[in-house]
Amino acid sequence: MSNRNSDSLLRLEGVSRHYVQGDQIVCALEDVNFSASTGEFIAVAGPSGSGKTTLLNVCAGLDHPTSGTVWLGNRDLAELNRHQLARLRLEEVGFIFQSFNLIPVLSAEENAEFILLLRGVPDRERKAKVRALLKEVGLEGMEHRRPGQLSGGQQQRVAVARAIAAEPKLVLADEPTANLDTDTALSLLNLMERLNREHGTTFLFSTHDPRVMQRAHRIIHLLDGRIESDQRVEVPQM
Amino acid sequence: MNSLKIILIIAWRNLWRNKRRTLLTAGTVSLGLGLLLVFLGIGDGSHRQMIEGAVRLGAAHVAVQAPGYQARGGIEQTLSAAHVERVSSWAQSHAEQLGITEVLSRAFASGLASSADGAAGVRVIGLQPDLETEASAFDEKLVQGKFLTAAEKNGAVIGEGVARKLELEPGEKFVLMAQASGSAEIQSLLLRVAGIMRTGLEDFDQATVLITLPTAQQLLRLENSVHQVAIMLDRLDDSEEAAQLAKQDLASGMEVLSWLELMPELRDFIKIDDGGSYVFNSLFFVIIAFLVANTLLMSVLERRREFALLDALGFTPTRRFILVIVEASWIAFLAVAAGTALGYAGHLYFYHKGLPLDLFYSSEVSAGGTVIDPIIYSYLAWTRIAGAAGLVFALTFLLALLPAWRGAKGQDAHLLGQI
Repeated sequence: MSNRNSDSLLRLEGVSRHYVQGDQIVCALEDVNFSASTGEFIAVAGPSGSGKTTLLNVCAGLDHPTSGTVWLGNRDLAELNRHQLARLRLEEVGFIFQSFNLIPVLSAEENAEFILLLRGVPDRERKAKVRALLKEVGLEGMEHRRPGQLSGGQQQRVAVARAIAAEPKLVLADEPTANLDTDTALSLLNLMERLNREHGTTFLFSTHDPRVMQRAHRIIHLLDGRIESDQRVEVPQM
Repeated sequence: MNSLKIILIIAWRNLWRNKRRTLLTAGTVSLGLGLLLVFLGIGDGSHRQMIEGAVRLGAAHVAVQAPGYQARGGIEQTLSAAHVERVSSWAQSHAEQLGITEVLSRAFASGLASSADGAAGVRVIGLQPDLETEASAFDEKLVQGKFLTAAEKNGAVIGEGVARKLELEPGEKFVLMAQASGSAEIQSLLLRVAGIMRTGLEDFDQATVLITLPTAQQLLRLENSVHQVAIMLDRLDDSEEAAQLAKQDLASGMEVLSWLELMPELRDFIKIDDGGSYVFNSLFFVIIAFLVANTLLMSVLERRREFALLDALGFTPTRRFILVIVEASWIAFLAVAAGTALGYAGHLYFYHKGLPLDLFYSSEVSAGGTVIDPIIYSYLAWTRIAGAAGLVFALTFLLALLPAWRGAKGQDAHLLGQI
């Protein structure tokens, strides 16, 4: 079976995700339908518990919908096994989490080059690319520091560098600015926006931060696991 | 290659995130391995001493006898002078290759020793005193008098028990009677006690009379025949090879026996003792195994979020599985290195100083037809070390399978959103 809408990079059709919690069934997502095209900069907004993180996890194949279909490119994620899903994430998806999720035993540079390393990019090319990226995110001179020696903002920049180093088609960011001060959050948004503009990378990020929503080209509002609205925003030309 | 490199790096650095736990785990395993090597060294050392002790008290590393003599022990089942010559020539030609130190001819018989004060059934051993003093320990076991010499045709060395029963002292006379070979006739000889020996082997001391080989041949009417040609080696480890070669070369009209075949009681005792040691060591390692399994599993379970992160980044289940196995292997590597060093140090101590068994036993102890030396010296072969180290690696690998499977399983994506 192939994706009927071949233009969309990501497509969700009637996706629901129900959890059993104690003797109750919790509906984290309910009949979610949307598609994202290459180069979009989409914010998924909604209050805590509205299903934003579950949506991102389902989009990446980290969580499986109770019903419905998730297409990434022309692949139905339900038809892929755990190895194939991991391989797909390695090749096509970048992740940025709200809580900086870096590998604690690796330095900033090693974290940033992690995906390139797994992809088998040669040493010289990998190092050059990662150093340039770390410089771009303002971490020049901090390449050898471990996550514990970096501030929250710096860790998040490393996570961004890692997510974009391999030039994925899709970057999923779960509340990327949630734990950052205003200046750091803005500089991170600038960086994401620039990557979107210059590399055509598709961003799908969850947020309830108005500063982030202002920068999105499209905002999907989630409430109680359902899409309440899906609005396109006029973006001023730079 | 790159992913293996990153797995090795992550696994190594993960070990040192919780230094105390890693050191405690590796320390427990290395202590276990160290103790295992010490136990093996002392066990193997004691067995070798028992074998060597038996070999030096009338047995042999390799024995050549008439076919069927081992099973029946008939006095007429002898090797002719020609056979003895063949064995000697063979031994001479293989002396360097096999480390052959002596070739000893012996005659055996049952007899009756009697003095004015009593009589006792005895086992008579006819031997070549000059050669036996080089290869055997009979002369070292003398408690009174002196050992035999080739010239002393009517001399005898008797066990302490025989001396007690017959109330004999060195220099005193007794009569030794035995059935002659090939007839029902009883032969007798008047002998003079040259020395009295105590080996610690109750059966041996109670009933052994040593005389020279020519005297035994005269008593038993053996002409120039003997019952056994004992081949003594420099190294016990060469005895199997020597026996195999001798079996190939000396098969016709002779039966070649290794010490294992010559002393089945001792062989069985060592088997049983080894079996007991394996059971004890296995129980010991099962306890350690539970500790290690627990540590590895805890280490994975408390990093569930990290494994979820690796999963999200495209680190496949196979790679996560390998990561845990490599972590366990690093621990095993450290434990084997430290454990081998520890065990070898213990072995060296007991190799030089020995383990004094007389701390535990007040009298001489015998088992399997030989005396256990009061001081046990460790003997540790490299194959034992390699086997024990391999066991630790294999065990750690097996123990890591469950945690590795848990790490590979992942499915903890919900943890990624947690701060």
